[in-house]
Amino acid sequence: MAASAAVRSAVSLTQRFVRVSPDCSICPLYRLNACTGATDGFTAPSRRLRTSIGVWQSGDSSSPEEEERVVNVVYIDRCGQRIPVQARAGENALHLAHKHGVDLEGACEASLACSTCHVYVSSEHYEKLPEPEEREDDMLDMAPMLQENSRLGCQIVLTPELDGMELTLPKVTRNFYVDGHVPKPH
Amino acid sequence: MMNRTLSRKLLGSMCGISNPRLSFAQSAVNTVQREKELIKSRELEKDEPRPLYMDFQATTPMDPRVLDAMLPYQVNYYGNPHSRTHAYGWESESAMEKARKQVADLIGADPREIVFTSGATESNNMSIKGVARFYKAKKKHIVTTQTEHKCVLDSCRIMEAEGFDVTYLPVKNNGLIDLKQLEETIRPDTSLVSIMTVNNEIGVKQPIKEIGHLCRSKNVFFHTDAAQAVGKIPINVNDWKVDLMSISGHKLYGPKGIGALYLRRRPRIRIEPLQSGGGQERGLRSGTVPTPLAVGLGAACEIAQQELEYDHKHVTVLANRLVQKIMAAIPDVVLNGDPDQRYPGCVNLSFAYVEGESLLMALKDVALSSGSACTSASLEPSYVLRAIGTDEDLAHSSIRFGIGRFTTEDEVDYTVEKCVQQVKRLREMSPLWEMVQEGIDIKSIKWTQH
Repeated sequence: MAASAAVRSAVSLTQRFVRVSPDCSICPLYRLNACTGATDGFTAPSRRLRTSIGVWQSGDSSSPEEEERVVNVVYIDRCGQRIPVQARAGENALHLAHKHGVDLEGACEASLACSTCHVYVSSEHYEKLPEPEEREDDMLDMAPMLQENSRLGCQIVLTPELDGMELTLPKVTRNFYVDGHVPKPH
Repeated sequence: MMNRTLSRKLLGSMCGISNPRLSFAQSAVNTVQREKELIKSRELEKDEPRPLYMDFQATTPMDPRVLDAMLPYQVNYYGNPHSRTHAYGWESESAMEKARKQVADLIGADPREIVFTSGATESNNMSIKGVARFYKAKKKHIVTTQTEHKCVLDSCRIMEAEGFDVTYLPVKNNGLIDLKQLEETIRPDTSLVSIMTVNNEIGVKQPIKEIGHLCRSKNVFFHTDAAQAVGKIPINVNDWKVDLMSISGHKLYGPKGIGALYLRRRPRIRIEPLQSGGGQERGLRSGTVPTPLAVGLGAACEIAQQELEYDHKHVTVLANRLVQKIMAAIPDVVLNGDPDQRYPGCVNLSFAYVEGESLLMALKDVALSSGSACTSASLEPSYVLRAIGTDEDLAHSSIRFGIGRFTTEDEVDYTVEKCVQQVKRLREMSPLWEMVQEGIDIKSIKWTQH
């Protein structure tokens, strides 16, 4: 996390003074496959803070078409407590959990480099999720206590057909904090 | 030569003349020992000529090239391959990854699909217990055969105790399974089919490609114990549609104490790990990977890949020589297992009217076994021979000849000569043989109990 933050600040520093087309091949973000593609060719990239967690959160959905895109998800945390959550289609299950204070750890911040956001998906909704890509499967392999309905939370993008999905947090993650400590999201 | 020394000692003790080389007490002891007449374990004395090794299915000598590859990693590059912070770790890791690629290349797999284990027994345990437990929510049935290795059968028995259903498929008289029967046995809740590639006792080669395609069409995972097949016959896990494969190091001229498990990535198969710990080997088999042994396994696999065709020809020629010479010299010898669908290097012959253990004892200077090494301590006849329908008396009379890369024609000729000689001698002493010569049908006799 510190490394990617440093990279981000370094890139924005250099690009402040660049007015011509950016050379993608030398950019560390491109090389690390973390390029968001926000720079469109020949304009200098904007310097505003770019994070993957949505900073602007709209409260309740007022317009009718937005109501159709509401997805109800229930998180079942490690103590067995049920936390029902209302989300909008297109949201990411990991960030949704952080927004609502669910203790789902996401050590690599959704960059497919760890297995700490491992969740069990309710079986009826498991089939509706798209097939995991190979990188997700590789990271998932490293998670302890895998089950048939395991997925990485950061790769679950909510759609209206996943309404009513239950995401259960497994008892352990790859971190060996046997006292139950879960690192807070950065 | 050994027989002469023994008889001289005997003669000396019997006539009361002490052998100049032995004291009187020692020669007396020798008489007592000879009277017991069991295969007593006795280590070879200094300078005593070693027996010929004809038991290549039990284990194989390490190829000197494998030893050459391993030595630097024992004394020089001794780092832990999982140490990420210094050169010792990095060089050890790169050696381990190179070995992984060598193993993968031999079976046509991707290096990421190979997990190092302590041997085929561990790989078999991981496969059966791991797959069954992982998919136990919906799938409760396992299919295997009656001729599998003991570790597979024992793991299946444990799974039965855990509440799974296990079907032990019978085999035909030639040792092969019936594909139609397998198809009928597979249920919607079958999670795993486990059938070994080459049998370690009778050398029979199962139709793995057909089984693999069948299992894939039914969406069932297919595991094969290829310990006796890897490096001896060409293997391609993608052609064969195999999902899990067990590999043993010391069966292909590599070190003992290392093996591997192949786990398919596409479609991905998951297992519940047996060994928990720091998450090494993709979390499936925690524990430091023994770099020297892994390097040895890799080197053995690479050598096997290069020399596979040559070795196979060599072994085939010698095996045919052995079988034909024996069968030409003495009657009533049965070759157990299918004559064509087999790995030639494993020859299991039953000599009628001769007891197997006494033949083994008579062939003192050839290292052989009756049945597999894991059953050689117990008195029960081999369950494999029973499964192929061998009568119990023939099962007791079977000997397994193992031929490998380092067997020579002279060794085979000597073995044949001794074998023929001893079988004739033992048959002379056998009352059953006498009866058969007189024309009595043994099977019609009603034996009484005393």
